[in-house]
Amino acid sequence: MVFNSLAFIAFFAIVLVIHSLPLGWTNKKINLLLASYLFYAAWNPPFILLLWISTIVDWYAAQKLAHARRNASRHAWMLLSVIVNLGMLGYFKYGNFVLENFGMLVASFGIAYRPPHFDIVLPVGISFYTFATMSYTLDIYLRRAAPARNFLDYALFVTFFPHLVAGPIMRPTELVPQFETPRKATPEMLRFGLALMTLGLFQKVVLADTFLAPVVEAVYDRDRIAGALDAWMATLAFSGQIFCDFAGYSTTAIGVAMCLGFAMPDNFRFPYAAIGFIDFWRRWHITLSSWLRDYLYIPLGGNRHGEARTYLALMVTMLLGGLWHGANWTFVAWGGLHGVYLVTERKLRSWARGYRPGPAAMASMGLVTFALINVTWVFFRAKKFAIAWQILSGMFGAHPEAAPILSFMRIASVTLIVGGILCTHWALRNGTLEFAVGRTREILISGLLASMAFAVVAVQGEGNAFIYFQF
Amino acid sequence: MPSSTSSSKTTADGGLAFERPGFVRLTASDRPGVAQPVPERHIPDRRWGRIQLLALLLFAALLGGWEIHWRNYGGTFCCRDSNGSWAAQRRRIDDGEGGALVLIGSSRTLFDIQLPVWQEATGERPIQLALEGTSPVPILEDLADDPKFTGRLVIGVAPELFFSGFAARADVIPYFHKERPSQRVGHWLSQHFIEPFFAFDNGDFALGKVIERQDWPLRPGTKRPNPIRRLAQSDADRNTQLWRKVETDAAYREMARGIWLDHLNGPPPPPMNTPEKVGAILSSEIGKAATAVAKLRQRGVKVVFLRLPSAGPYREWENRVYPRSQAWDRLLNETASPGIHFEDYPQMQGYILPEWSHLTHAEADRMTAAVAPLIEAAFAESGTTPRGTP
Repeated sequence: MVFNSLAFIAFFAIVLVIHSLPLGWTNKKINLLLASYLFYAAWNPPFILLLWISTIVDWYAAQKLAHARRNASRHAWMLLSVIVNLGMLGYFKYGNFVLENFGMLVASFGIAYRPPHFDIVLPVGISFYTFATMSYTLDIYLRRAAPARNFLDYALFVTFFPHLVAGPIMRPTELVPQFETPRKATPEMLRFGLALMTLGLFQKVVLADTFLAPVVEAVYDRDRIAGALDAWMATLAFSGQIFCDFAGYSTTAIGVAMCLGFAMPDNFRFPYAAIGFIDFWRRWHITLSSWLRDYLYIPLGGNRHGEARTYLALMVTMLLGGLWHGANWTFVAWGGLHGVYLVTERKLRSWARGYRPGPAAMASMGLVTFALINVTWVFFRAKKFAIAWQILSGMFGAHPEAAPILSFMRIASVTLIVGGILCTHWALRNGTLEFAVGRTREILISGLLASMAFAVVAVQGEGNAFIYFQF
Repeated sequence: MPSSTSSSKTTADGGLAFERPGFVRLTASDRPGVAQPVPERHIPDRRWGRIQLLALLLFAALLGGWEIHWRNYGGTFCCRDSNGSWAAQRRRIDDGEGGALVLIGSSRTLFDIQLPVWQEATGERPIQLALEGTSPVPILEDLADDPKFTGRLVIGVAPELFFSGFAARADVIPYFHKERPSQRVGHWLSQHFIEPFFAFDNGDFALGKVIERQDWPLRPGTKRPNPIRRLAQSDADRNTQLWRKVETDAAYREMARGIWLDHLNGPPPPPMNTPEKVGAILSSEIGKAATAVAKLRQRGVKVVFLRLPSAGPYREWENRVYPRSQAWDRLLNETASPGIHFEDYPQMQGYILPEWSHLTHAEADRMTAAVAPLIEAAFAESGTTPRGTP
């Protein structure tokens, strides 16, 4: 089920009513668990089995791990969890990709081998819930967390519908304690939660789907050569689209959870106001970047074993982070480019230690960061390297004779929306949305909420899936 | 464990969090390598009850104004011809109505054949699967691959679409095969709680499209987009008529004609910019249709092709690009199927087509009454001698 659908509105209204009935806390949690399974099954019922496998294996592995006396035994149970989760992810997400690349590899040695192509459907949200369940076992293995007191709390942590299919990727210590004591949204929480949902849906349905996606598709998905203006506008539009789509989902999810009385973490912190790439990755998809840092980068050695090892760990983390997004080398290139940026930035920082940039230098560095991030988005969006090169070369002036593609209205809408996003991010870069709302006149808040809700209805979105569903 | 959701007035630091400029709520990115605590969320210190009430009133006013505007424009209620609506009709074949009479084709079959009139004439209400702006060949192939379909099939032929394979709504078949339970529920909710009550609920009235078609300055080197505007109104089972506004509003009708002229006089798309390419695609589409018809015939499905009228510049264009002898006649020949062409039947001529491509509602009723017996007769004769002329 997607948040931007009539089915979800009906589903959520029913869940809210049931959750507010005078029932015992355990019954309420059972209701939430059943509702979450229904939420997942409404997209593709058979795949609920995979969710159950992941849930049960990690519950069992974590119990055994917590009570194991020998290190080898602890290690084995942890490995079981990792292998089962990554095995499922690998089969469904990367099965065909591995086979195709194996075929190409052996062909390069002159061996004629055509691997079979399996018609594998990617279960929605598998990349998210496998990471969530793995963090449960890994936190217990790393002695950062104790096992959940009961299976219900744990199963609800894995399945809780606001975060199930596209994050934020929750850690057990963030959510399980919230299930231990009864929670009910106050009227203020309910109202602010609904306001967050309105904002999130506005970002997704109006900005991302209605105004930005058509610009991106006109340049990236058509067989036409783009000149500098069209290539830059489409790439800027994608930077806005991917942000509004994903941050919109996260904001809606946070609002949904708040309406039920639960708290979910921020997943974005005004990322386009980042100065440098270390800063960017502390602001963009925070729950994934911190997951990769805690369970991949740090175990690989982090920055504890000298410069070379740090850079190696950084590159491996970013390359795998890229691959997490999809079974395509363009995603690996995207991750690799970010890895190179991060390594370069670390080098520059060590050379320029003690340098304190002024406001103008900060703004310039922010703009350079944003421009370089846009270069990475080209690889993220293009379906093939050939398209990526074509767009990139267009951005840097290689196609001066190219016929114009985008209309005045499209260019104006990208300028307005992406410009608006940039200004907002810079205005709020050290604050929070709540901080800004707390200083805004009430009548203006009402007007903005009404306008956003009206726009969401009036654009008549087609219930397009969120981009991150495919990951 | 600290409270995870608190008002700024009641936070441990007495609400200073909101008073202090530059406050940043910590996230997992600030806490490397440790167990992440229960997240903190704050509710801005505002009177949310008043804010919500005022927002609701403003929202209702905006939406009410929007609805009134589209009602005044001529908007009608029920129903949206969505993918969900098409899938619901397609599903009938797999849910026990596999022996039914099915109509496929493009917008002429959709607008010009009226299901109630057909039912009155023959006693059977067909399943309407024709789609505007879309060649029926992919749907024909899909039905050929579905063993549950054993009924009779009328295939509408709009030359421009059929012989080019163009499919504006190509996504409808994969949608039908992969339709999620939540999408079915959404369609049901829309058909029962939205579409019967709101005139603004039509793709042509979507805010994004309205903004896009304003008189924006023209970027040098680009052409003003002139997309096809609303032409139809549908019922719940996809029985569809030409929208009354096309018939009654002269300015709107002229605009619809202008769009067709733009479309017909514009340069052909690169895959069809030479007669050789047009011919190759035509051959390929006829080949696909012949294969599918042969498959259907193997399990006893009877097929009749139907060419409904066009007029004015539209008909001239069709006759020039797809001459009857090279397109229609060849189609009947290669599929060994009967066909009914409006040029061959006096009772199918002399109709009013306000924008040269579709009949008015009243004329569609008259056409249906005329064509239903012809098609029934063709079905009765099919399987004996292929016929292309009366």
